[in-house]
Amino acid sequence: MAALLSPTHIALIAQGVSAIVSSRSADLRPSIMRAMGTQISPDGQRITIFLRPSQSAQLLADIDAGGPIAVVFSDPPTNRTLQLKAGGAHMHPATASDRAILRRYLVSMQHLVGQVGYGPDYVAAMLSTPPDDLVALEFMPEAAFDQTPGRHAGSPLPSPP
Amino acid sequence: MSDADHPTLRSIRACLEGAIPATMATCGADGTPNVAYLSQVFYVDEGHVALSFQFFNKTRQNILANPCATVLVLDPVTARYYRLHLHYLRTEAEGPLFERMRAQLAGIASHEGMAEVFALKGSDVYAVQRIEPLPGEGLPPPPPRADLLNAVRLCSQRLARCRALDELLQALLDGLHEHLGVQHAMVLMLDAAAGQLYTVASSGYPRSGVGSEIRLGQGLIGVAAREATPVRISHMTHAALYSHTLRSSLQADDGATGPDIPYPGLAHPHSQMAVPLISCGRTLGVLFVESPLDLQFRYPEEDALVALAGQLASAIDLLQAASDEPAEAPPPGTHAAPEQGLPLRVRHFPANDSVFINDAYLIKGVAGAIIWKLLREHVRSGRCDFSNRELRLDRSLGLPDVADNLEARLLLLQRRLQESGMAINLERTGRGRLRLRVDAPVLLDDLAA
Repeated sequence: MAALLSPTHIALIAQGVSAIVSSRSADLRPSIMRAMGTQISPDGQRITIFLRPSQSAQLLADIDAGGPIAVVFSDPPTNRTLQLKAGGAHMHPATASDRAILRRYLVSMQHLVGQVGYGPDYVAAMLSTPPDDLVALEFMPEAAFDQTPGRHAGSPLPSPP
Repeated sequence: MSDADHPTLRSIRACLEGAIPATMATCGADGTPNVAYLSQVFYVDEGHVALSFQFFNKTRQNILANPCATVLVLDPVTARYYRLHLHYLRTEAEGPLFERMRAQLAGIASHEGMAEVFALKGSDVYAVQRIEPLPGEGLPPPPPRADLLNAVRLCSQRLARCRALDELLQALLDGLHEHLGVQHAMVLMLDAAAGQLYTVASSGYPRSGVGSEIRLGQGLIGVAAREATPVRISHMTHAALYSHTLRSSLQADDGATGPDIPYPGLAHPHSQMAVPLISCGRTLGVLFVESPLDLQFRYPEEDALVALAGQLASAIDLLQAASDEPAEAPPPGTHAAPEQGLPLRVRHFPANDSVFINDAYLIKGVAGAIIWKLLREHVRSGRCDFSNRELRLDRSLGLPDVADNLEARLLLLQRRLQESGMAINLERTGRGRLRLRVDAPVLLDDLAA
């Protein structure tokens, strides 16, 4: 399969930026929650999103029912934003090794969100994940859009060379 | 039961103003979800929010096809999440809501350095069907801030004691400073016939700016008056669109309308709010506050200022009505001392009733016509005591039949005379009475011909 994401886009996501996840129900009601952590494979073909089930009941129910997924990634200080979509996602329990991913993600977000005026304690509260309240969603992006605020927001990303 | 468990839109208004933007999920007719960052989630009332419509993007297409939307907001202090389940109703492209959002967006835009990106096409109004508080550990709620309700009470008590317009305005400015920590404020009155607002009182500026004018619809102040709605900018850089537009349009006016009194406002404001003074459904003027710091005026401060502006407007109306019924004759004039010193040359330009004393601009418009009338009478007959009533009956002054704001115009004139430091002053000698004090010979020069 041709690569969807350029190395620049992969690097943006790999850095650990803000991520908001959405799906929808059978009657097309949208569901939404912030990811508590993210991970991208080096080739950009596989993305993992961590959510708290207690905060994401409808979203997880929608994904579980076979609903599609949309995730917006945004770098708070620069507003560089992109949206990835796929026809569905695979849900699995988070493992102990996922905790290290969440810790790295938190450090990155504390750095980035700190630049728009919020301290590390605030970001830690925003991304807090009790041990028994975590699930992973894995998906392969099928479409990618530039979502940086402005006139071109929403246009498909150019294919990488 | 706490607000956190059963939030109302009002109880989570702070979530709508954080620097971490809200996000919205929508879904197209084909079933594809979409997530977008929102520039604004604007509190309309307990059942409605408005979102800014800036581009014909995917979100826009989706809500037109499927009006369901879900918005995720985050409390800027406690880091608790709330989901708003929304139903799109309509788009407003003019009127108070649109203007309030446009002004606020201009502030956000300049903050982000994206003024062009953030032009508002419309205000999308949504019904809030449900507010869902999400579980989470969060941070403790903030300690109670300065008790705003008590601050409003203290200001209100000061206003209630006032018996004249100048006292009233001073009481408001002092109260805002002492009880609400507002360092920079001004009050402008509306001259509806001229489509202008003129400054009658200010505090916290190097120059009072009394007499400076702003067109209806110009900048935050002009928009608040035109739309009869409070307008607020919570954070902006020195490049702020509104401030810049205001200043540059004031400069552009200089040549066209003759000498103007400079607008006193801050050169680099970061927070501003303009609240209309409304009494009996009529806009009398605007209360304007600003700060060099970000995020000084939020929803609670807006609530406080709107309440105080209402009382101020009613009091202005009442004092105006009272001033038309002089209670007592003035004490006999005591102007025995002969006028001495170098004569003052007072020139009057009938085209716009502008008045100059020794070549220094004093005032124009109705206030200019009034001082010219008083001086003419004084030179002709030596009279120095006058009444509001006779001014109102003099058709040549150009006072409108209703809503003439004569008291405000007299206060403006009084202050301008004081600030000019010339030997001409106006004193109040009782309700509806005034006395002209002229301490130097006066040469009148009417440039009618």
